Amino acid sequence: MNKKNKAEILKILNLNKRFGSLEVLRDVTLSVAEGEVVSVIGPSGSGKSTLLRCINFLEKSQSGEIYIGGNAIERKEKVVNKMRQNVGMVFQHFNLFPHKTVLQNVIEGPIQVKGVPKKDAVTQAEEILRNVGLSDKTHVYPAMLSGGQKQRVAIARTLAMEPGIILFDEPTSALDPELVGEVLNVIRDLAREGMTMLIVTHEMGFAREVSDRIVFMDEGRIVEEGPPEEIFTTPKNNRTRIFLGKFLQAV
Amino acid sequence: MYDFSIIFEKFHLFLPAAVETLKITAAAIIVGMVIGLLTAFARISAFKVLRYPASAYVTIIRGTPILLQLFIVYYGLSGIIKLDPYPSAIIAFGVHNGAYIAEIFRGAIKSIDKGQMEAARSIGMSKFKAMYRIILPQAFKRAIPPLGNQLIIATKDSSLASAVTVRELLLKSQQLGSSTYRFMEYFLIAGIYYFIITSVLGLIIHKVEKRLDISSR
Repeated sequence: MNKKNKAEILKILNLNKRFGSLEVLRDVTLSVAEGEVVSVIGPSGSGKSTLLRCINFLEKSQSGEIYIGGNAIERKEKVVNKMRQNVGMVFQHFNLFPHKTVLQNVIEGPIQVKGVPKKDAVTQAEEILRNVGLSDKTHVYPAMLSGGQKQRVAIARTLAMEPGIILFDEPTSALDPELVGEVLNVIRDLAREGMTMLIVTHEMGFAREVSDRIVFMDEGRIVEEGPPEEIFTTPKNNRTRIFLGKFLQAV
Repeated sequence: MYDFSIIFEKFHLFLPAAVETLKITAAAIIVGMVIGLLTAFARISAFKVLRYPASAYVTIIRGTPILLQLFIVYYGLSGIIKLDPYPSAIIAFGVHNGAYIAEIFRGAIKSIDKGQMEAARSIGMSKFKAMYRIILPQAFKRAIPPLGNQLIIATKDSSLASAVTVRELLLKSQQLGSSTYRFMEYFLIAGIYYFIITSVLGLIIHKVEKRLDISSR
């Protein structure tokens, strides 16, 4: 698969982010092409989640530029709101709307933000829920779902906006081990269908299998990036090697 | 010495006064909800010009007695504007409840996990829409128990309106008591009325809470 020629859907240029005196992101530059799956790995506190959150402006970076589909995103409320329709986000803790049913969670965005007629939104939502295997939970409230089901609903909610790229912020970190698989399967299906994704994850096996490219971050910097077979077998950087130590031995 | 049969014989005489009590309470709570919601928004706003006056209002009202606030509206303001007892009571109690209800709403809004706002914003909702569609419905639900509590307090506090001659339950019992010297009997009637009203309110609040609980996590 040659994805190099495809259009860049996301480009991050020299992003810097500080919390007080703590530098969380240092000159991060990264781009993701259409249809590409990029996984960001690295130790806790390396800035992976902050990077994702800066991309859709849930965090404000101090400097740097974000391009979505070739357009530089200005930090204006209207521009950012518009951009977010095109940049989906799946959170570690799902953040489903507890006062709405599964279906209502999924149609909320299309109806309220995009102005899709309710009937169309429902039809679309039912199809998406079928794809993530939750047709039988349509009218259930999130409180009645397992963590894995909640995360699949959250993915469905994001898909309903028909985004050009989806950001996954440790989508399986809050799940019981036996529920991780069902969520990874959904993400795997999306990869197969050609969805562009930027995934922050600690699931090394999954990252290796599903990604076109791996980005290793440490102390707010991108230390190394490359195809999974390279990063997971012969990483060039010493810090990558130390981080992947156990995993490399296992392989 | 006491003639408790009076309680049964004269009980019905208090009905109009009970209606007054309910009216003052309802008006105070409605005014209080409006002021409270606006104040809560002002207190969580990003703008100091809204935040500071709102928190000054809450601090001052909570820091002074409600009877004093009523006297200031009824007697104190009479130099500028002469208000009747009834509107004075509604204004004073409304402003008083507004401060407490503001804190109830503010607490309820702040108690909603910030991931909710983030999830709403991440699908492209404006701040306003996220507040209105996602945060407030959840916050209102959480505000119901403390609001119910405040409603019961407001019911009892409405008795203070007797001090500015609003013809509610307590004034009625004072008047009948002093004209017959049967204070105990008439105060007991008033007490029974208050107890019935607050009990019924408590029951309704409980029902509402239970009904809203169906979808909660």
